[in-house]
Amino acid sequence: MDEQKYWNPIIETLPREKLQQLQFKKFKRIFRWAYEHSKFYKGFYRDAGIEPGDIKSFEDVHKVPKIEKSMMRDIQGEGKEPYPFGEILCVPTEELTCFRQTSGTTGQPVYWGDTWQDWDWGVETYAQILWAQGYRSSDRFFLPFGYNIFIAFWTAHYAAEKLGCEVIPGGVLNTEARILKMQELKATAMAATPSYVLNMASVAKNKLGIDPAKDLYIEKITVAGEPGGSIPASRKRMEDAWGAKVYDQAGSTELGHWGFECDCQSGLHVNEAFFLFEIEDIDTGEAITEPGKKGRMVATPLDRMALPCIRFDSKDIVQWNKDECECGRTFRRLDGGIIGRTDDITKVKGVLFAPSAVEEVVRGIQQLGDEYQIIVSRKGDTDSILLKVEVMPGCENNLDEIKGNLSSQLRLKTNLNYNIEFEGYGSLPRFEGKSKRFQDLRKKQGDGKR
Amino acid sequence: MQEYDIKGMTEKVLALKGLAAELKEISGGIPSIDRNVERILSSLRLLELQIVDIKEMLN
Repeated sequence: MDEQKYWNPIIETLPREKLQQLQFKKFKRIFRWAYEHSKFYKGFYRDAGIEPGDIKSFEDVHKVPKIEKSMMRDIQGEGKEPYPFGEILCVPTEELTCFRQTSGTTGQPVYWGDTWQDWDWGVETYAQILWAQGYRSSDRFFLPFGYNIFIAFWTAHYAAEKLGCEVIPGGVLNTEARILKMQELKATAMAATPSYVLNMASVAKNKLGIDPAKDLYIEKITVAGEPGGSIPASRKRMEDAWGAKVYDQAGSTELGHWGFECDCQSGLHVNEAFFLFEIEDIDTGEAITEPGKKGRMVATPLDRMALPCIRFDSKDIVQWNKDECECGRTFRRLDGGIIGRTDDITKVKGVLFAPSAVEEVVRGIQQLGDEYQIIVSRKGDTDSILLKVEVMPGCENNLDEIKGNLSSQLRLKTNLNYNIEFEGYGSLPRFEGKSKRFQDLRKKQGDGKR
Repeated sequence: MQEYDIKGMTEKVLALKGLAAELKEISGGIPSIDRNVERILSSLRLLELQIVDIKEMLN
């Protein structure tokens, strides 16, 4: 039999009108389930004056009130029953088989419990991703992350096992040991955050004298947790450093693994067989259906039952791609992946500013290292942006030229001026998990104007 | 799209689901049988989502 291109061709190539029918059918099902099994949802929807019988057409979906992370924090925690998940939980706690929590990057972590069925569902969605990115049973898949309470690449581990890959858990090893183990075992694939992929390459070269592109065997890398996989300059750096194909993947603890690049590497597909996606205007909340217009993503995992997440405001800024993908999947794509976060996108000097645009510029300049830090502050009525970058060894004598080039490209890309500080190579923080490169000190300075 | 026997696969999935439920009914509460049947049912649920749901929609 010919090699199967799709994990499940029946759902991945379903005609769009059928796909939408499927989504609507599933939405009604999860909405009713949540209404009938969660005290929180029942009260929430009653307050909003909506009940399952009111969802009669796709347009009615937009009448369902959204939830967001801050609400989940309020539902959960000390004194909230069933502890610690609170009244959002739709099943007895005895049915839960695993616990995770969000990384806490934006505040108090959200607790998450899955039944085996829900976990299995998440694994299935990730299996579809790995298959689309060319993973097969012949792969030896190295996972260099701390196996702990954060979801990170746990699902990738189980999904790769399901595909029949040989999975190497690179848990508590340090970076050097992980690289040496990858070399020893001739690992062919790995998954990590973009920051850590670059950091590992740097450690391999500078501390171990290993060139990942020549001395290791990695052919493909799945990246997640940061937007880097869909930022062309960051992707190029990773692919050049490793001599491997890099594929972006998107997900979160609350939603699951909803987005993936296929082997065409031309934008994040959204998995419309298992999720419902909406893009809304950031200011007005109006639905955006046309390609090329940025908005916030609102998503619903359609089959995750224990802790349903219905119309979850992901805070991700995305835009639809207008074209069909050459891969033949009918799932739509997001142009440029996750462009930013509503948490991060802010006005500086009256101009809308997205930190990911700075990454695209910094990583496009070869004389600069992979790391950078952005610090926005305010003195009096004036905003300023400090950008700290590292200079590659051997380029220290060209600082004026590099600064001129960097400033002009930043100005072109973001319409803003920056105070640029050069740091020694290796001096800025490195990250294994999600990176934190953006600080807005204006909030701490007591000025809420953004 | 290539033709797949969605109807035939649906029948098999539902039959397996019925068999799994029957096995649990006669398990006498033996934990290893009950818990393994639960795992089987989870896998069958994934097949329902990817085959049975589609078949119902295409009707």
